[in-house]
Amino acid sequence: MATLADTAAPSRDRFARARTLHWLLAGALILASITSLQVGATDVTLSAMLSKLAQGEALSHMERVVLIDIRLPRLAMGVLVGGALAVSGTVMQGLFRNPLADPGIVGISMTAGLGAIVSIVLGGLLPVWITGLTGNYLTPIAAFLFALGTTILLYRVSTRHGRTSVATMLLAGIALGALSGAASGVLVYMADDQQLRDLTFWQMGSLAGASWAKVLAATPLITLAIGAAMMLGRGLNGLALGEATAAHIGSDVQRMKSIAVLSVAGATGAAVAVSGGIGFVGIVVPHLLRLASGPDHRTLLPNAALLGATLLILADVIARVIIAPAELPIGIVTAILGAPVFLWILLTRRGLVEQ
Amino acid sequence: MSLIAESIRVSYGRQEVLRGIDLTAQPGKVTAIVGPNGSGKSTLLGAITASLPFTGQVSLNGRDIGGMKPWELAAQRAVLPQQSRLAFPFTVIEVVRLGLQSGTAGDCPTVPMRALARVGLAHYAEREFHELSGGEAQRVMLARVLAQVWAPVEDGLPRWLLLDEPVSSLDIAHQLQVMQIARDFARAGGGVIAVMHDLNLTAIYADRVAILAEGRMLAFGTPCEVLTDDILSRAYGCDLRVSAPPQDGIPYILPHVASA
Repeated sequence: MATLADTAAPSRDRFARARTLHWLLAGALILASITSLQVGATDVTLSAMLSKLAQGEALSHMERVVLIDIRLPRLAMGVLVGGALAVSGTVMQGLFRNPLADPGIVGISMTAGLGAIVSIVLGGLLPVWITGLTGNYLTPIAAFLFALGTTILLYRVSTRHGRTSVATMLLAGIALGALSGAASGVLVYMADDQQLRDLTFWQMGSLAGASWAKVLAATPLITLAIGAAMMLGRGLNGLALGEATAAHIGSDVQRMKSIAVLSVAGATGAAVAVSGGIGFVGIVVPHLLRLASGPDHRTLLPNAALLGATLLILADVIARVIIAPAELPIGIVTAILGAPVFLWILLTRRGLVEQ
Repeated sequence: MSLIAESIRVSYGRQEVLRGIDLTAQPGKVTAIVGPNGSGKSTLLGAITASLPFTGQVSLNGRDIGGMKPWELAAQRAVLPQQSRLAFPFTVIEVVRLGLQSGTAGDCPTVPMRALARVGLAHYAEREFHELSGGEAQRVMLARVLAQVWAPVEDGLPRWLLLDEPVSSLDIAHQLQVMQIARDFARAGGGVIAVMHDLNLTAIYADRVAILAEGRMLAFGTPCEVLTDDILSRAYGCDLRVSAPPQDGIPYILPHVASA
């Protein structure tokens, strides 16, 4: 019995460490946000503006435009999209019980993109009462609905008797991605000039098109989805033991799966609708966090939201300054950082795929 | 206050696996379910734990389980599956805590370590679950299940351990240890139902034995009543001889003397 006291402490520590990480990551997010407001293609800096304000001077028109209409909405969108992608990845991985599941890799982002394109190109054909009802939200809602359909389909196809086949999931994802790519191509041919402009901006897969209108369009869906995901911690922990055992230890598995699927579709759909396809955030963030503080979803989910937002803001800063005054699409930055991590997981845990 | 299953029928497609089974398990007793491969043992446990669709009725401590919420069930009974897979790199102690989260012991911090100590794995608390051998993993899962229903009796109601082949990947010493844990849980007032393969362990540790064959209950009673030449030979389809050592009269079955 003497061993009890000795061994009881350490893994409390892992949970405690994850708790401490909340604060560290929140601090990192604040620092990243300040950096993001400070840096840009113009010489306008946050610090210069703040010192001006402190001395009671008014900001010039340009300074106000740069800060309030360009950098702030871009920052807000980075936080929303980064948090949404990282949380979606975490929830997907918990739901599919596999660290390689990610909305970008299994085609959900592609189909969400198709949804967005459909709404841009064919949105004019909808009855007025629908477009009147949805307003600015039409594109995010369409992306959400397409993402929802894909997530449900993928889960149905790849899960038999409570076991998810990774191979089936990845292959079905490839097929769905290819199909939506083709359909998107057809729609691009059908689009008129104005729609093509909208599409091109949208497809750049970056935060460059950030505006307050887009931020407002994406905010409700993403906050709802992330908020719902935060309630899934215990359920996803149980699900790690399989669906049957999750039910035996008291989870309402069907309800939890529905919330998980809705939350992934909502967060991914809205994120893709405003920023195009930004990959690998959903793979890298939860993987790093599991290495740092273990796989407990109760702490993993909030930490993923914070780290996802921080990383995307930093990736955006890199994208903005590395070839200034031009901009690198942020999807390139996240892929350069993220694809090796994906390969690394694949190589170190080969058993995941070859079951 | 017992666990009562009435006219349980289960079909997989057109194949009827259970053809109307009645089983009553009393708290304070270890009830073993035995039978040949494919006789429906695990399916019966699946029905009792509401893990698969069935017709019939199961009541737990006087309540129909069909009307109970998952968390209400989880507070009254814990289920040890035949095999356990774990998706993420949890440590052993974290796995045991997953059981605790669902039971009524709340977040009582000492229960997981005591449950691990009970299965003899307290020193493994910080290991990764994935690094364990099959037998060790099975014992950790037993500790998880024990943590979920740590007190065998709560608020005057017995709690239940439902074990699907709890000793299937264990060496003989740990087979005895695990069966002793099950018996102690029952002696303290809880109920235990275990699907068993080993007839000799069943003879030693079970208070009641249900013998299944082809989806029907062939016999139900104390080990001495049902572990007989006739019943076993019919159940398993081979000629089995039951003997009893003179001192305690517990029956034992030696496969050496069986003829197919």
